[in-house]
Amino acid sequence: MSVRQALLALLEQGPMYGYQLRAEFERRTGSTWPLNVGQVYTTLARLERDGLVEGTGTDDEGHVIYRVTEAGEDEVAAWFTTPVSRSHPPRDELAIKLALAVTVPGVDVGAVIQGQRTATMAALQDYTRLKRTGRAALPGAATDPADLAWSLVLDSLVFAAEAEIRWLDHCEARLRRVAATRDDVRRPGEAPAAENATDKAARR
Amino acid sequence: MRGWRPLLRLAWRDARRARGRSILVLVMIALPVMAVTAADVVIATQDVTSAESLDRRLGSADALVSVDPYSSNVIQSFDPDDGMGSSAGAQEGNGHTFADVRRVLGFDTRSLELRDGEIRVTTDMGVASAMATEVDATDPMTTGMFRLSAGHYPKSDDEAVVNQALADRGFSVGDRLEVVDGHTLTVVGIAESGSFRNPAYVLARPGALGLTDETGRPRWLVETGPVSWDEVRELNKLGATVLSRSVIENPPPKSELPPEITTATTDDAWLAIVVLVVSMALLEVVLLAGPAFAVSARRQSRTIALMAATGATPEQARRLVLAGGIVLGGIAAVAGVAIGIVVGWLAAPLVQGLSDSRFGPFDVPWLHLLGIAAFGLASAVLAAVVPASIASRQDVVAVLAGRRGDRRPSLRSPILGLALLGAGIAASVYGANQTSMGEVFIAGSAVVAVLGMLLLVPVAIVGLARISRRLPLPLRFAVRDAARHRTRTVPAVAAVAATVAGVVALGIAVTSDAAEAEATYTEQLPTGMAQVTGFYSNSGRIKPGQWDRYAAVVAGELPEHRVVRVSGVPEDETVIGFKVPGAPTLLTIHASALGSSVLVDDELPAGLGIQEADRTRAGRALARGDAVVLADQSVAADQVTVLVERFSDDGASTSSKHERLPAVFVQPEGQVAMAQAVLPPAVAERIGLEVATVSLLIDGPVTESAETDLQEALAAVSPDASLYVERGYRAEDATVIVQLVLAVLGGVLMLGGTLTATFLALSDARPDLATLAAVGAAPRSRRLVGAAYALVVGLVGAVLGAAVGFIPGIAITYPLTSNAWTGSGPEGMPSHYLDVPWLLILGLVVGLPLLTATVVGLSARSRLPTIARID
Amino acid sequence: MSAILELADVTRIHGSGATEVRALRAVHFHAHAGELVAVMGPSGSGKSTLLTLAGGLDQPTHGAVRVEGVDLASLGYKGRARMRRTSIGYVFQDFNLIPALTAAENVALPRELDGARAGVARRAALQALEEVGIGELADRFPDEMSGGQQQRVAIARAVVGERRLILADEPTGALDTDTGEEILRLLRARCDAGAAGVLVTHEARHAAWADRVVFLRDGVVVDESGTDPAESLLESDAAR
Repeated sequence: MSVRQALLALLEQGPMYGYQLRAEFERRTGSTWPLNVGQVYTTLARLERDGLVEGTGTDDEGHVIYRVTEAGEDEVAAWFTTPVSRSHPPRDELAIKLALAVTVPGVDVGAVIQGQRTATMAALQDYTRLKRTGRAALPGAATDPADLAWSLVLDSLVFAAEAEIRWLDHCEARLRRVAATRDDVRRPGEAPAAENATDKAARR
Repeated sequence: MRGWRPLLRLAWRDARRARGRSILVLVMIALPVMAVTAADVVIATQDVTSAESLDRRLGSADALVSVDPYSSNVIQSFDPDDGMGSSAGAQEGNGHTFADVRRVLGFDTRSLELRDGEIRVTTDMGVASAMATEVDATDPMTTGMFRLSAGHYPKSDDEAVVNQALADRGFSVGDRLEVVDGHTLTVVGIAESGSFRNPAYVLARPGALGLTDETGRPRWLVETGPVSWDEVRELNKLGATVLSRSVIENPPPKSELPPEITTATTDDAWLAIVVLVVSMALLEVVLLAGPAFAVSARRQSRTIALMAATGATPEQARRLVLAGGIVLGGIAAVAGVAIGIVVGWLAAPLVQGLSDSRFGPFDVPWLHLLGIAAFGLASAVLAAVVPASIASRQDVVAVLAGRRGDRRPSLRSPILGLALLGAGIAASVYGANQTSMGEVFIAGSAVVAVLGMLLLVPVAIVGLARISRRLPLPLRFAVRDAARHRTRTVPAVAAVAATVAGVVALGIAVTSDAAEAEATYTEQLPTGMAQVTGFYSNSGRIKPGQWDRYAAVVAGELPEHRVVRVSGVPEDETVIGFKVPGAPTLLTIHASALGSSVLVDDELPAGLGIQEADRTRAGRALARGDAVVLADQSVAADQVTVLVERFSDDGASTSSKHERLPAVFVQPEGQVAMAQAVLPPAVAERIGLEVATVSLLIDGPVTESAETDLQEALAAVSPDASLYVERGYRAEDATVIVQLVLAVLGGVLMLGGTLTATFLALSDARPDLATLAAVGAAPRSRRLVGAAYALVVGLVGAVLGAAVGFIPGIAITYPLTSNAWTGSGPEGMPSHYLDVPWLLILGLVVGLPLLTATVVGLSARSRLPTIARID
Repeated sequence: MSAILELADVTRIHGSGATEVRALRAVHFHAHAGELVAVMGPSGSGKSTLLTLAGGLDQPTHGAVRVEGVDLASLGYKGRARMRRTSIGYVFQDFNLIPALTAAENVALPRELDGARAGVARRAALQALEEVGIGELADRFPDEMSGGQQQRVAIARAVVGERRLILADEPTGALDTDTGEEILRLLRARCDAGAAGVLVTHEARHAAWADRVVFLRDGVVVDESGTDPAESLLESDAAR
């Protein structure tokens, strides 16, 4: 899981205690993934158990300072160079919801899609607003690596939301096309009667 | 050819898709092709070849033979009219007669005598001369020589037929026809000669008109079977000239011609002029059609880039555009020639109506037409050459990326242009100093200068674009757009410039010529005075009583005016000269303005231009009984020698004598003396000069309508009387017409060039105009932009053209109006005359572009296009 | 404060009979000052028709288009042209700069067409170019600029002369992501400064720069996200 590697990567830049780690993580990812302190300490404990970090004593206020071990450095290097695996797509609630909506009778799939799209659009607008009004929009944002990191994370969210909207558009278009073909299929059934009528008219 | 096929197909499709542009090109090229074809067909029809003329010259005979008894050996071409001569005629004659001819051709030869000549016949008005033929026209051998339209051919010696031209003078069938000094015949029919419709013509039986060997030599139509070239040569030895049907129809090889007969060589100057005219016309057509091809090439630039991307060579890209020229040029050439033939066929009878000679049968000179069609095709291909070469050099990547792929223009062409322009100026200067062929040389230099200017047009346009920043928007847009689309603008501007250059040069030439005519114009009489002359007629001197009739007519028409009879020495049999021993020639040139150069009167006749200061002196001299002699310079002498020489009818001098007379010398007012001298009657009588009335002088002013009336009244009395009214210098109609034609032709070509380019530019600027609309341009913007574009093309072209046109224009005035030929003319005459038709030039350079711009501004659609994007 | 652009019950039908296409059907649409509204929808949904109607380049078959409270139909052809010079700015996907004019001249175009003196128009143009960050390119020709620079010129042309309605038709379509974003930032800034903007796009990422996103399908508004600016809500409340 990425929180583990992310903390390791932060520690690689210098020893820190748990609260510092959390603050640094949030600063860099723009508070988009809120991390509670408890989660930080459990993760640190696991890392220490696996021999990737080690405690180096406490500071004046009694915070335990951690630093990365040699094995930990290897792990970080390996993490950066390994692509993120897509072999197990994360469980996507939206996809599941739509799949069910299509198969379960009586659900207005169009409304589901439209509702979702409006919501995703709103989220996208929020991200964009953050982007243009938040830290990244301030002067000097382009030069500070931390601000850049934050802005890139925001972009990731923007593109993900955009992808979702595009997928929803695509679903909508597919559903409409299917609906249209169904209508076409139905019509030939009615055709014979009409044909007879015109034949008769022609004979007369 | 295989490689061309897909390209021609592409070009054909493109031509069909861009229909407006294609029609434009077709018209540009087909019109001149059609006009030249029609003219050529009419000329070929009007031209009568030897073979075509056989029937009208020979009738149905096999040959036409004439025998000149005074020449021993005739040298002739296949058709004697094309060239003949005879060597060393025997003084006493060789004695050969038609009998000798018969010996060569065989004794079974049937012959018919034919005699052509000129006679005079009495008409209601007086005496008219007429062409005459004596032949038995009822003989079937003459079939085809005459066309009888009324009555019948003469059957007896007191019968004659006349042609319509003579019939119009008051003869009709049944009238009497009186031959001066000869028989009187009865007109029995109206017939036309096969060769001409004018002048008057009389046909009668042999001997009936009294033609003699002097007035008309006898010839014989012979019927003997084909007369071979060998027989013709044999007859030539007898002094006979032969027109043989068989020789003309199946001419022997040229090598059979006697060496003395040389086939006519083409005149160099004439050839040079033809080459110049053709090349200027070609240039003009190419320039006019050029913009359309430039636009096509640019529209095709993406196609070309894609072709290049799929492996086409630049050569193939070039050919794609050239193929457009071939397709359109081919269609235009064929259509132009086809329509031209039809137009020629329709026009030939109309032209015949204006001509005196009879046309040949309808004739289509296919070989010429092939050349004319090739001209059309060549002009289209040439018009496509520059766009094609630019298209082949475009930057493929840039074009595919949607940018313009024009390479920067090289510096070479403007430099070459300057060099050509310089060469043109130099050649003009050289031509101006040549005594012969100078005009041709200058015309050639004009073409060179125009070509040089053509290469400088892009520089001018780009330069204008550089300084256009301060111009109002439509003009700035037009200038910049013109500079961006140089391939389209340059030929249009150059077409205008070439036209203007030509018109300015010719205009200067014509106006200067007229200026010379005006400056050297000499009044024959004081302005406003009129004069009746007509001492001599076709039949010699008029009868003395005739002057009374003239005077009566004048008095009847102009009762208020004083009429004076001027007396002088009739100069038909007498030549009089004046000389002062030891002094230079008294007069280099003199006229006989008052009917004779030696007037006889005891006072100074009115109308004799003598300087004011000399007048009283001359009057006193005459009263005293002294002669008044005119001289260019003042002469310090008081006596003059008169030389009187008399001639008989046949031109032989019969007597001559010198007389010394007391005289005063006066100087003429103008550059040309109106007479040599005025002698008192007593003196004339003393030296035995014949004195008669030589003219009537009528006091002015004579109005133009009075002149016309008097003219008609005099014509009714005698065709010999001629009336002259001095009205000072008047521009010849020809000058005015030439200036008018120049202005109209220049205007039409300029309008054509400007309008083509403007409307092509407007259609090209569609997206830009749409953008203008989107940012809120008012609807009239399109008109303003169009007008501005027309103004830019017209103005730049006109200014450049006028500048270039001045060079040959001024140069040509030197050979055209120089006085070199007069040798030592009177003092104070300029070496040449130069008059620039500023009004014409101003109208052309400023007026026409403004007019064109206005026309465009009023006629262009004002609706702006909208940006259409299908989403 | 009322809407700068308002489409009231607008229907636009192209052609007639068998070829009849209903591009827009009874559409209500508005854009307030300071607001950027995005219009999204698949191809043929009527987005561009909406924009051409808003710019007065086309007339509705039914309904009214009002800009700053003026019904465009009442203005006539010339009046609408004047409107485009003074009140409405257009930005196109393919920039549509006039290649024969320099950047500054392109920007000065609406002012010059409106009869402003050349010097005045040029000063305004230079200022607008400065605002979009390419003041130093004023005397270049469109040919000599990159796509992003050209689009900046186009935006400068759309805003010069204090125009309060900016209509952008896929302004980022021909640009890469980064450059496109710069353009949107400029548009957004212009709206934040008080103009009303309508942005037609098919990319959600770009639409997200808007305060409101309107979804069009088959000429009908099917969806809307985001909210009206607070002031306009207050105003419409007060109106009620």
